Amino acid sequence: MRFEDVSLRYGAGPEILRHVSFHLEPGSFHFMAGPSGAGKSSLLKLMYLAQRPSHGGIQMFGRDVAHLSRGDTALMRRRIGVVFQDFRLLDHLSALENVALPLRISGQRTDKVRKHVAELLAWVGLADHLHALPPTLSGGQQQRVAIARAVVARPNLLLADEPTGNVDDRIAVRLLYLFEELNKLGTTIVIATHNETLVSRFSHPVLRLSGGEIRLSRHDPAAGRPTKGSAA
Amino acid sequence: MLRVRSDLPLDRDPSGRFLPWLVAVMVYLAALALICAVAANKIVERWDQGLSGQMTVQVPFSESPGDKSAEEILAVLRSTAGILEAEILGADEVARLLEPWLGSGAAYQDLPMPILIAVRVDPAAPPDMSTLRRRLTQIAPGTVLDDHQSWLGKLLDVARSVQLVAILVVGLVGASAVTMVIFATRMGLSVHGRVIELLHLIGAQDSYVARQFQAHALRLALRGGVLGLLLAVLTVVVVANLLGRGDVLGIPELTPLSIEWSLLPLLPLVVAVIAMITARLTVLRTLGRMP
Repeated sequence: MRFEDVSLRYGAGPEILRHVSFHLEPGSFHFMAGPSGAGKSSLLKLMYLAQRPSHGGIQMFGRDVAHLSRGDTALMRRRIGVVFQDFRLLDHLSALENVALPLRISGQRTDKVRKHVAELLAWVGLADHLHALPPTLSGGQQQRVAIARAVVARPNLLLADEPTGNVDDRIAVRLLYLFEELNKLGTTIVIATHNETLVSRFSHPVLRLSGGEIRLSRHDPAAGRPTKGSAA
Repeated sequence: MLRVRSDLPLDRDPSGRFLPWLVAVMVYLAALALICAVAANKIVERWDQGLSGQMTVQVPFSESPGDKSAEEILAVLRSTAGILEAEILGADEVARLLEPWLGSGAAYQDLPMPILIAVRVDPAAPPDMSTLRRRLTQIAPGTVLDDHQSWLGKLLDVARSVQLVAILVVGLVGASAVTMVIFATRMGLSVHGRVIELLHLIGAQDSYVARQFQAHALRLALRGGVLGLLLAVLTVVVVANLLGRGDVLGIPELTPLSIEWSLLPLLPLVVAVIAMITARLTVLRTLGRMP
């Protein structure tokens, strides 16, 4: 993923992101941190192609997203798993059906993926809630369903917006280990969080957003303090 | 276990409740309009066939007792090429024709009645009517040669008007169906905006979402259309029975095996397909505005 001089503003409003440039290598793991209103969600929206930049260029998987056809954009989105901050589960579908949704959309026969989906839900600790509807699940359980849905299609890129916001520290760490496992399998991971304690427990680089600008810092878990680095 | 539910819970939408009824009313009106148009056409056809090759010559009443003009005219008619048969109507037949106006047992013999000659013409090679008319009026001025075309023409005009109105009704029904489906689909898109956005963001093609809306519209319109058609058929049957004689509406020709009846079931199908295509285009156009 390569962002080059990307700026974003909504309508005639102020610039949310200003001249952001960075490059994420395939298979990398990054946190994205910054105070509220720094532009984390907007940057994530650009990453999962929900938004087009007002200025600059974005390359994903070696292709300029500005020149993608509508069909190709949809296909590219299938390579990106997203954990939304508000989960965005479909209340009328069971946990199993919610998780299977990306597979259905990509045309896979659901009877063949059922076992895989059930295993994944068991992996996130929801083996007993396969047929539960989201409104009957707790916030933490819903979040795990959302995570399972994001990873079920084995995406090349996983974007997570505050994926540990509704779980206690023990489950948060466990979920991050889950992301690390995925990362080891080759998935590029970007996790937006404002939980500095959690960030400090891992040694992954941090994309820090502040005032619409970005810089890369590397964490030293031993020191528990970020060190500055290049964003490009 | 999986895929028992649609991604979009469209069945719970308000449109699911009102759309079938509105479609039913529209198909009902369209079906009645079409039945009326077909019936009008049938009446004209029947009259046309019944009168085809028939002609009437009306020789005016003559006060002179030895007048032979009717016989002369008959002789001319019989000798004219293209005329197969010509007969002076007898007193009984004339009485039967006059009965609806004068009542039975009327003393029509005392009236100055014209002499009527029934003529059968060869439809393949009819005589030249204007020449024949001229010859007959030379023998007896005031003789009327009626080939019924003027009356049939007026009947045809009425039938055409009925057909035009029917086409107009069907057109209006089609336009209303399209408008309703657009409205219902937009409402569905609005109600399920967040779900659609999610599907969009996790890689659903626009056609994937459109398929769900079009299948929903097809189901609802088909349900309503079949209901409307059944009600229309029921109405026609009841009206025909109330009138006691279906031929007043030209209904005898609309037997269950006739082509018109077999085409009627296409009406709800056509409306359903229109609804499906409209829903699809509406969804694709709306989703096309998403990034």
